[in-house]
Amino acid sequence: MENFELEAFYVPPGLKDRVKLARTLVYEDGSARILLKIPSIDRTFIQSLIHHLREKRGSYLADLPIETIVQVLDEASRRWLDKNYPLRKLALKTIPLITGFSPEVVEASIDAEMKSSLREDMWRALSLEIGNPLYLNDFQYSPQLGGYSRAFGPELIVSIFSENIPALPHLLFMRSALVKSACLGKVARGEPTFAPLYLKTVEEIDPEMAECMAVLYWQGGEEEIEPFLFGQADAVVLFGGVETCRSLLEKIPRRVKTLVHGHRLGFGVIGRQRMKRQELERLAEEVALDCSMFDQQACLAPHVYYLEEGGEVSPKEFCQAVAVAMERLNQRMPRGRITPHEASTIHQLRAAYEFRELNGEEVLVLTSPSGTDWTVVYEKDPGAFSPSPLNRFIRIYGVEDIFRILSSLKPIGPFLQNAAVAIGDKREKEFIGMLGELGVARITSPGKMSIPSMMWHHDGISPLASLLRWCDVEKKDEF
Amino acid sequence: MSELPKEALDLDQKIIDFIRKGTNRKDNEGFNSLALEVFGLQFKSIPLYRRYCEKRGIKPEKISSWEEIPALPTDVFKVTELSMFPSLTMRTFMTSGTTMPEERGKVGYDEGGLRLMDATIEEAASSFLFPDGMKTKILIIAPSPEMAPHMIMAYGMNRLKDYFGLPQSRFLVGREGFEVETLLKELRSSEEEDIPVTLCGGSFGFVNFFDYCREKELRFKLPPGSRTLDAGGFKGRSREVKREEFVRECGEALGIKTNYSVNLLGMTEISSQFYDSTLRNFHKGLHAEVAKLNPPWTKTVVVDPESLKPLPDGETGLLKHYDLANRGHILAIQTDDLGRMNPEGFEVFGRSKEAEAKGCSLTIDEMTRIEKGR
Repeated sequence: MENFELEAFYVPPGLKDRVKLARTLVYEDGSARILLKIPSIDRTFIQSLIHHLREKRGSYLADLPIETIVQVLDEASRRWLDKNYPLRKLALKTIPLITGFSPEVVEASIDAEMKSSLREDMWRALSLEIGNPLYLNDFQYSPQLGGYSRAFGPELIVSIFSENIPALPHLLFMRSALVKSACLGKVARGEPTFAPLYLKTVEEIDPEMAECMAVLYWQGGEEEIEPFLFGQADAVVLFGGVETCRSLLEKIPRRVKTLVHGHRLGFGVIGRQRMKRQELERLAEEVALDCSMFDQQACLAPHVYYLEEGGEVSPKEFCQAVAVAMERLNQRMPRGRITPHEASTIHQLRAAYEFRELNGEEVLVLTSPSGTDWTVVYEKDPGAFSPSPLNRFIRIYGVEDIFRILSSLKPIGPFLQNAAVAIGDKREKEFIGMLGELGVARITSPGKMSIPSMMWHHDGISPLASLLRWCDVEKKDEF
Repeated sequence: MSELPKEALDLDQKIIDFIRKGTNRKDNEGFNSLALEVFGLQFKSIPLYRRYCEKRGIKPEKISSWEEIPALPTDVFKVTELSMFPSLTMRTFMTSGTTMPEERGKVGYDEGGLRLMDATIEEAASSFLFPDGMKTKILIIAPSPEMAPHMIMAYGMNRLKDYFGLPQSRFLVGREGFEVETLLKELRSSEEEDIPVTLCGGSFGFVNFFDYCREKELRFKLPPGSRTLDAGGFKGRSREVKREEFVRECGEALGIKTNYSVNLLGMTEISSQFYDSTLRNFHKGLHAEVAKLNPPWTKTVVVDPESLKPLPDGETGLLKHYDLANRGHILAIQTDDLGRMNPEGFEVFGRSKEAEAKGCSLTIDEMTRIEKGR
């Protein structure tokens, strides 16, 4: 049996010897054992950590040219994309055991995240959000203003991650570094290991930058720590469910800039022009990929795919092709382990659909040969959007006219994250406009739902620009 | 009104005879042969169920054991009618709804089905709730069947009242809600007149009553033989209370002796009830582990949540129940309750718990809560 020791925290090298351990969690399966060290957190420790982060940010990161920061982060992503990188290998051996995701899913997730975190992506994100990235280095002349402007990031960003998608928390550390902020993140119980490993990579490349970053873990809802920590922050970024975020928001002082990334959901739409026999297999594979990545746990994942009737291929036939693709994908990238509640929900829902099918309703249920690995259910659009129980369970709704789905999406507008759209005729532009109006934050093609670019407006906000404050100098002649 | 077909009436009679032999026996062969008969009739009379079984290659003539009878997940009752004789339905009971509140499970009972249920109520209660044969004043913290015609608990408790209650027995939830003043009066008069009480109702109703008593600094010392029967869990309608604490609070607030607080697992989809063994064991002087007991006309199996195949004894999984008294709808029911078998019977840990959201996607449970909160 292979043994691994991991830490559910990262503190800057200068503070390492100050960490006391609270306990060790043990994860074990037939072939591996992980000892995960949980830190002991108290006010005094947090206070000295915050002091350290702020100080190092002031003495190093705040004056580091944005070009250098991009360079370091690009190098970190490249290391993680290297299949022989020791920390990547370690992550692939350990994260599946802790999260239940299959190794193939974890690997796909790391690749997807890191491929969109390279130099070019960061420059594009910066340009998209703030125009000229050099505003982060110094005052730049702005002809519109007729003066000089400079953008400042917060000194300290505190972030709470409450989800298990591997390789996701690194985004926040990247964004913080790009706006020259120190960052203290709290990882989720379900996936506490990736962020500390990522910060080790930063440390390998630029130890001084790593002095401005920390990851901690504590039980969510901790009465004492959270309000104290939020009180010390200049900005807070929350990731989590609607209720979790709401209860955290109550603990954040009003003066602290706060960004909330709540739980959201995705869907797909395929118009009749694209329901062609020739494209069927490829398109079905793309749909299956959207529904299988991250086992559908990400807010980017579709709960429902709408298929328009009247094309060469009927929605039901399309479902059959999706089912074939789901099975093929499951062989290549198996679904992870799920809880009894999740499995039970899938069985119950499958049976409910099956009885509607037996009862002569226009319903189709296609399932993995055994267990709950994947499920495709078809029905005529019921006129209301029902979430999927996830874990590779896709609802496919047949619609006469794609424009009819807008009324069922309207009530859930604030939760709409991501839509795959393939209409294939001149209605597409109008349709996309209406989705944007409803609240959708990102629109892409089938097969691309799980891989947003680094510069997308995550949850419909500008994740970098929203953290910045500006200083304008309106004295052109003397400055 | 048309009558139940003879074969159903005959089968009902055989099942009732089986039930009336009481709970203090084991008769696996008898159960098996009746279960197969019930399955045969359901297969023949319920076309949807027949198709469901045929898709799985199961036919009555092909199987020889009750364990092979296909179970239906409870959610199926939310989408379709599965009674054997829908036109003969006398009463329809509905679930309170969990994940899909707008779609409640519905189970229709014909006259024979109600007779079967009545028999199970009488036999099971006389063994597990009244093993001492004591007549008590039954006070029920639940609406009466007239008030809540679709609530199976109201029906069942009404039967308990009729079969086992003293004349003063009554329901205590009226049009204005829980009649707490009446309950207090009834409890006081029981203390004064030395009449033992059986207080029954939803578990959350008890907890809310305990809280009320604590706030008002009320305590009762009910006469010996008084007992409680609670069912249904807390469902977010009261504090969540562990069993030991519940029993202790019954003692503190009401003066109920430790072994006189009985918990019952009942479900709309299942005609029979599963009592815990507390009071029966105490009465018989048995020192066995507390468990939910299967009366001989029922069986419970624990299955793997992923494959739905039976698990070895002692392992935790989803509970699947077989109930001969379900003749009128479906014999075998797959629940989403987590539990495990123990040497005495089975333990139930409640509906399989909602996991913390793993990813950043909105979940069904979250969506349901958001919609409720709107």
